[in-house]
Amino acid sequence: MRENFMVKHILFLLVIGSICCAKQNVYEQNCLSCHKELAVKIDKFFYRYLLKYSSEVEVKKAMIAYLKNPKKDTSILQDGLIQRFGIKKRTTLTDEKLKESIDIYWDTYTVFGRLK
Amino acid sequence: MLALKNWDINLRSSEKKTLWSFLLLYAFLALLILAFVAFLYYDLERNLMLQNQKESLSNLTNEQISRLKSLHVNFEKEQTYPRDERFNSAIYDSSLKQIFSTLHAKKVNLYEDIYLENGRIYFIKELESYYLGARYIVIEVPAPKRWDRKVYRKLLLYGGLIFGVLVVIGYFLLNLLLRPIRETIVLLDRFIKDTTHELNTPINAILSNIEMIELETLDSALAKKIKRMSIASKTISNLYDDLTYLVLSNHMGSHDESVDLKTLIEERIEYFALLLESKKITISTDLQENITLIIDRKKMAKLIDNILSNAIKYNTLQGSIYFSLSPEGIVIQDSGRGIEENQIHQVFERYTRFDRSVGGFGIGLNIVWTIAKEYSLHVKINSQANQGTCVKISW
Repeated sequence: MRENFMVKHILFLLVIGSICCAKQNVYEQNCLSCHKELAVKIDKFFYRYLLKYSSEVEVKKAMIAYLKNPKKDTSILQDGLIQRFGIKKRTTLTDEKLKESIDIYWDTYTVFGRLK
Repeated sequence: MLALKNWDINLRSSEKKTLWSFLLLYAFLALLILAFVAFLYYDLERNLMLQNQKESLSNLTNEQISRLKSLHVNFEKEQTYPRDERFNSAIYDSSLKQIFSTLHAKKVNLYEDIYLENGRIYFIKELESYYLGARYIVIEVPAPKRWDRKVYRKLLLYGGLIFGVLVVIGYFLLNLLLRPIRETIVLLDRFIKDTTHELNTPINAILSNIEMIELETLDSALAKKIKRMSIASKTISNLYDDLTYLVLSNHMGSHDESVDLKTLIEERIEYFALLLESKKITISTDLQENITLIIDRKKMAKLIDNILSNAIKYNTLQGSIYFSLSPEGIVIQDSGRGIEENQIHQVFERYTRFDRSVGGFGIGLNIVWTIAKEYSLHVKINSQANQGTCVKISW
């Protein structure tokens, strides 16, 4: 009787745990988790990319290129901020995961459909 | 030119057709060139108007860009697209995808700098910084009211003037084109006129002398020869009359009187009796009494002579002619070689001949037509090749 109760308890915790983990997507897990801690919020990076690259294709292409090979020359951050925060490390995500993260990032902050 | 008018020279239908074709082609080309020039002028004026608008539109665009910049910075707090009652606007990204638009037009040509469409001016500018991802901004304003009125007025005025000048040039060109045709006709008419003068005296001499010969006193062989001479002389006399009429018809007055047609027709048949006899043509008549017309006797005789002469000339040997006179008109039916159906419409044209095996100038039916026209008579010709011809004169 007691063993039965234990099994049910473990199963419940597993289900709850998996639901909690499933809620965080690849973007939240790999991008937002760190950016949340930064002084410059993640949306500011988006609008800087938009300001420079304009279209969805160009913005995403530039982001992926930078994340795969971050350099001072290709960064859209101002020099002062680069000096203060430095250049991020190269991404460890696979191309697929990286693309998925960028797509979510784009959908989150895109101006299309949000203007009134 | 004066001679042409005096002699009432008619152009053939094929020549008229050529002239009409020339006129149509000329008018079409003139209008085409004018339309092209008008289009260029309109385009020039439109571009001028657009250039004048450019500066103010550029200022409006800069204002809108400043608003976009402000919106870009505060986008997470404010998402209302900046609007202005003076203009409508739209923004497009670098892949020409529309980000937002308040324009009336659904499609915009982003490759143009400035253009006019449906009474609205569209001004396109490329942004240096792509606020909200916008690479292109389009400003739409209504075109100045009635800007094109002045242009259309000018186009109509100058277009009309130039077209008028082209019409005058066309008239001179047409005269140049007609000159060889006219010269040919003048030459032919002059020749006929000169020949006619020379024919008059000898024909009269021959005819009066033949009439003085008493045939009864001659032996039959000589009488036959004299008859032939008489026929030949009458043929020439007839031709002389036709030519005189043709050349001098405009100067001949009409002496209209009540003419008894039966008497006149019988006279004319009698006149051609020898000719009919020589071709062994039988003539049957159905002439009603007391039918009169108010007409110049000589002209009516000429009309009958020409139809009868054709009926004899183009008839077959031992053929027949039927002549009827009724209150409705005259019918002359022959058993001759007839005229092809496609040629009937040309028979009244001067110098038109379909059969060159017999003599003539091709002026007989032209004279018939002229006289009929003068007295409002209707001439109708029905003919079938190798069947015969039927001429109806109705009034």
